[in-house]
Amino acid sequence: MRKRLSNRRGAAGLLAMALVVASCSSSGTATPKVTGPLRIGISLSLTGDFADPGKAAQKGYELWRDTVNAKGGILGRQVELKIVDDASSPDQVVTNYTNLIDKDKVDLVFGPFSSLLTVPSSAVAKRFGYSFIEPAGGGPAVFDQKLDNLFFVQPATVVAGGEVFAKWVLSLPADQRPKTAAYPSLDDPFASPIADRIRQLFEAAGIKTVYNETYSAETTDLSPVIAKVAAANPDVVVAGTQSVDAYAQVKAMVEQKFSPKMLYMSNGANSPVEFPDKVGKGNVAGIFSTSAWLYRSDEPGNKDFVAAYIKKFGGAGSDIDETSAQAYACGQLLEAVAAKTSKVDNATIISSLHQGAWPTLMGQISWDAIGQPQGSTDLVQWIDGSLQVVFPTDQAKHQATVTKPAWGG
Amino acid sequence: MHLLVQSIIVGVLTGGVYALMATGQTLIFGVMRVINVAQGAMVILAAYLSSSLFSSFGIDPFLSILITAPILFVLGFTIHATFLRRLRPEQNELSLLIMFAVALGIEGVLGLAYSTTYRSIQTGYVNRSFTVAGYHVALVRLLAFGLSAVILVGLFLLLNRSRFGRSVRATVQNPTSARLLGVEPTRVAAIGFGLGAATAAAAGAVYGLVYPFNGGSHYDLISRLLSIVMLGGLGSLGGSVIAALVMGVAESVVAANVSPIWSSFTFFAVLLAVLVFRPRGLFGVAQRGAL
Amino acid sequence: MTVVRRAGLALLLTAAVLVGFVGVTHWIMNIFIFTVMYAGLATGWNLVGGFAGYTSLGHAAFFGIGAYAMDVTFEHHSIGAGYVPFAILPFIGIGVAALSIPLGWIAMRTRAATFAIVTITLLFVVQTLAFNLKSITHGSQGMGITPPPFALHTYERPFYVAMLAMLVLALLITWYVQRSKLGLALAAIRDDEDKAHGVGVHVTAVKLIAFSTSVAIASMIGAVWAYYVLFIYPQFAVDPLISIGIVLMVFLGGKGTLWGPALGALIVVPAQQYFAYELGASKLYLIAYAGLFLVIMLFLPQGIIPSLASWADRNRHRRARTLSGGQLVSPPLHELLP
Repeated sequence: MRKRLSNRRGAAGLLAMALVVASCSSSGTATPKVTGPLRIGISLSLTGDFADPGKAAQKGYELWRDTVNAKGGILGRQVELKIVDDASSPDQVVTNYTNLIDKDKVDLVFGPFSSLLTVPSSAVAKRFGYSFIEPAGGGPAVFDQKLDNLFFVQPATVVAGGEVFAKWVLSLPADQRPKTAAYPSLDDPFASPIADRIRQLFEAAGIKTVYNETYSAETTDLSPVIAKVAAANPDVVVAGTQSVDAYAQVKAMVEQKFSPKMLYMSNGANSPVEFPDKVGKGNVAGIFSTSAWLYRSDEPGNKDFVAAYIKKFGGAGSDIDETSAQAYACGQLLEAVAAKTSKVDNATIISSLHQGAWPTLMGQISWDAIGQPQGSTDLVQWIDGSLQVVFPTDQAKHQATVTKPAWGG
Repeated sequence: MHLLVQSIIVGVLTGGVYALMATGQTLIFGVMRVINVAQGAMVILAAYLSSSLFSSFGIDPFLSILITAPILFVLGFTIHATFLRRLRPEQNELSLLIMFAVALGIEGVLGLAYSTTYRSIQTGYVNRSFTVAGYHVALVRLLAFGLSAVILVGLFLLLNRSRFGRSVRATVQNPTSARLLGVEPTRVAAIGFGLGAATAAAAGAVYGLVYPFNGGSHYDLISRLLSIVMLGGLGSLGGSVIAALVMGVAESVVAANVSPIWSSFTFFAVLLAVLVFRPRGLFGVAQRGAL
Repeated sequence: MTVVRRAGLALLLTAAVLVGFVGVTHWIMNIFIFTVMYAGLATGWNLVGGFAGYTSLGHAAFFGIGAYAMDVTFEHHSIGAGYVPFAILPFIGIGVAALSIPLGWIAMRTRAATFAIVTITLLFVVQTLAFNLKSITHGSQGMGITPPPFALHTYERPFYVAMLAMLVLALLITWYVQRSKLGLALAAIRDDEDKAHGVGVHVTAVKLIAFSTSVAIASMIGAVWAYYVLFIYPQFAVDPLISIGIVLMVFLGGKGTLWGPALGALIVVPAQQYFAYELGASKLYLIAYAGLFLVIMLFLPQGIIPSLASWADRNRHRRARTLSGGQLVSPPLHELLP
């Protein structure tokens, strides 16, 4: 009989709770106010797998808020940010954007900084008619949705991100070009597509593929992968990497005394502080990577951003994570739209950003109908202990070192 | 052929590191019947401690084990005294969840104390390697393997030659009769738990030298360590060492010679296949644990 | 089943369905969807974890298989957006139930802790397959579905109703099992499997029925989830934290009871979503979650419903004793209650 009693009590409890929760809810959809502070909602991954870039993005957003408020806000309205945590979970990110828009009635939202979470969250924004300016989701899945309210705030999509390296290699005189290439890549929507794209361009130009494999994010030990790459002895290694795996690849190459003539890593190697710290200062020379933003660039507002960052968080310009700059750029776009149209509602933002190029600290960016940026990234190389832009030629600050020096650490 | 041998060398050395981690887990299972899913979190905690000792005081990670091992011993002892001692035998499955909560707690504290940026311990010798007959051997991995071997031999001696070891084995085999012989099973379990945690100190120092890590790295370790202790047979110390080596070599050989995406899958497939024919694992025994 | 009970249940069900139709705001509907989703998963898990005593950590694997089944069907057969995808749920359930029989047969050769580990290993195998079988799952690129053309103001309703239907199905099955021979057989297995086998219970068959029913429910819920979140990725769809969350909710509410798992979900899910939303930025979220977890395990090891029941039991005894001047008169509980 115990069981029957407990069943019924449970039922009563559930009923009571359901009623309480239901009675708490209020219907009616108030539209966001057009006076008072401008409230912007953002969900970031502050815990979980993507917590690192999440925190860097938070710095960028908050820095932009402080800067714009010091200038008197946007159209006279002070900017307020509501930043919430999605714990790197898709359920939570859906909840967060629904809550931000429907419960807290924020005026605008910016995208999350956990790229995979951009797809579910942009769908929520689209449903409510919100513009979705996002700094992180640049993979094919994001654009497969064909959303007209989404704008990826980087110079180029992920797939196009590596093309600049292929262009540089193919710009070399024939006798300096590599003959064989290896592509060890992380199985990740933001890593392996870059290597795949370069491989297509290289194969079309007659560079032979001698190794092409992906490894999973759980593969902490890349020694066996590199052992096989070394055995194939390619002239150029094009690694689609994210961060930790880039360090692990370099460590394994050093340990196995394998130094390719050219080494390109899509990400991880472009981190000015972390990379030399993790692989040893002596081992970075000659490694190529791509960069959407460099702290030394002269693009609009960049000097102000770097100065404000150092003032607020200390350190040097080279300590700034690219992510912070990308988050800051989202805010810059909003300022630019407001300055041009004297409005900051979602419909105006969507229609304005689809026309013309817009200034950010990563350069001028323009978008196609589904939010793909139309620019290209810069090729950077580690030269004399720091990252230098070496290609395209009009951006280059330094001559590229064609053959990578041997490992020095 | 060269590639096969090279990948086996890498696999054996990696297996040694995993053997060290799995041993602690096996020991804890042996004395307590507790599946310690927090072993990975303890390894990462120890890696952070070693890393801090190295960056703040310049203490070599291998030496820092002398400091971190007692800290982890106390931690293990405390976890046992606070959470596990009060569980009744029929609540054993609760222990799995409790240890998971402990793991989450450790992860949360690490996130708070160190943020989630990846770390690695950069000693002067960390990237050094030497070449024997054309095969490359990384110095750190060889040292790690050596350390694992020394600690494992030490544990075997402790369990087989000392009075404490006899109490442990008595407790493992039959707690009731052990009590009749004057062994206090709760005390033995607490010390056993502490020892298991202390091996995580050594494993953590080594892990930090070989791989970059952050607070969330323990998730990758959970499934691996559990699979190793399962394959070896729950509670079998020798079994877990052999299983760790099998895993290291299988993953390395598949990654180098077939494809890296299938490497961990291969090991899991081997594990499931073994369990179909031997649900107890390779060296597990039916009821009572064997150490 | 008394009239009052029946009326109470009818009222509860009506209230639950009505919630979807009374103009509750989107953000609350969204939390309801996730809450009912976990309530269904937990109630389904209970069949195997609660009644048979097999703590499975592998249910998220079947949840993920259901999610991928939905997306793959979407991609290869133009079933169109709208209500049609809900119609394929039974086929997904049946398919996964069939698939789960050989897997369950392997896994259930092991017991207790070993079973937990085997099932979590199974979960990682499925996750690896989701990454590696790129031609079917698109691997790490993830799979997206075209958003359904539901009107904004009632957008969540179909998903809510679908999740609720799964929960009701799980509850009905549980209710039936509790009253049937199957329930007795499962209880015998939980208490002593060898003895159960000895007295003629068809141990393997009974365990497999419970397992495949349980994971079939998980897979159908996974399919609805995939349609709701619109984008799936191996690590999101086959997530060990889903398994762990289910287990926590069942333990909190009460293992082996009809309403316990759902009650656990009703407490944990809104709390979790709310705290991550409001407190996440303070970094204390994980520590608070772990703390809550430990408190439940240590102070409510039986779960809320069984603890409440035994507390009520003791109370009645005490009151009965005082009323009758110290003499122990304790009428059976079912006589005291209507």
